[in-house]
Amino acid sequence: MTGIIDRMMVYLDGSEESLAAAAYAVALAKQSGATLYALYVVNTRALNDLVTARIFLASEQDEYQHDLEADAERYLNYAVKLGSDRGITVDPLRSQGTVNQEIKSKVDQLEIDLLIIGELARIRSRRDEFFDETERAMRSVGCSVLIVKDEERVWDLYDAL
Amino acid sequence: MAFIDLIEPSVVQIPVRSKTKSEVLRELVDLLDKAGKLISADKALSALLDREAKGSTGLEEGIAVPHAKCDAVDQLTVAIGIAPDGIDFQAMDGKPSNLFFLLLAPPDQAGQHIEALSEIAKLTRSKSFCRLLLASQSPEEVVELFQEE
Repeated sequence: MTGIIDRMMVYLDGSEESLAAAAYAVALAKQSGATLYALYVVNTRALNDLVTARIFLASEQDEYQHDLEADAERYLNYAVKLGSDRGITVDPLRSQGTVNQEIKSKVDQLEIDLLIIGELARIRSRRDEFFDETERAMRSVGCSVLIVKDEERVWDLYDAL
Repeated sequence: MAFIDLIEPSVVQIPVRSKTKSEVLRELVDLLDKAGKLISADKALSALLDREAKGSTGLEEGIAVPHAKCDAVDQLTVAIGIAPDGIDFQAMDGKPSNLFFLLLAPPDQAGQHIEALSEIAKLTRSKSFCRLLLASQSPEEVVELFQEE
C-alpha cells in the first residue's frame, strides 16, 4: 500500500447522481494519484424477474438487454472521457447480474479500497430501505464508501481541475 | 429517480371510467397528458398499442402493466388506474383487470425503466397491498399506500 487510497471504483447507473459521482472520482483520482475504475452493471437479474413475472415477453428481454448494454457503453465512455479530459485514466468495467452482488464482487476482486457512489434517493417508503440496490451494495462491500452529494459543487470542482 | 417519486395524485385515476382495453389506455394517457408528463399523447398511445399487439400486458389476479419505450416522454413516467368493476384487458387468466400500472420511458433510459417495472412486479406480489389499492377512495390515498408499503 502506498497511500490512503490506491484503488477507487465509481459505480454508474446512468443517473445524474452517478455521473456527478464519476466527476468527483476523477477529481479525487487527480489529487490522490489513485487508480480509478468505473463500473456499470447490466441488471440481468431484473430482466429475468420481469420475464418470470410475465411482464416482459422473451423478445422484450433481448431488446432491453441490448438497450442496457448500449447504456453501459455510453455511460462508461462518458466516464472515460471525464477522466481523459482531465488527464486521468478511467478503467471501464462492465458486468452483468444482480447489481449489489456485482459491485461487491468487483470490490473484492480488484481490491478496491474506496467505492464511490452517487447520492442515494430519498427514503420515501419502507420498501426503499430494503430494495435499493446501491444501498445494499453500500452496506455489503468490505471497503470504505463515499457518497457524493451536492452535484453543483461537484461539477464546479471538476470544471476547476 | 426512485419509482415512488413518480407517483403523485395527478397521475392516479380512481375510478377508471373506461370499459375497453383501448379506452383505458387512452384514459391513462390523457391523464398523463393533463398532468404535463407527455411530449406527445398520440405517440405515447401508439407505442402502448404497439406493445399490446405483441401480447397483452394483462397479467393475473386483476393486474395489468401496460408499458412502452418511446420518445413521447423525456423521463420515466407512470400512471396508475384503479377500476373496481374490472375491464377486459385480455389478461393471461382471462379475468378482468382492476389495477393498471402504466409505464412509459424514453428509449435511452432502459436501466431505470427496468428497475421501475421490477419494482411494480415486487409490489404486486403482495395480495394485501393490491387489495388495499383496490379499496382506495382517492389519489392521495394511493400515494400514501405506496409510501407505507
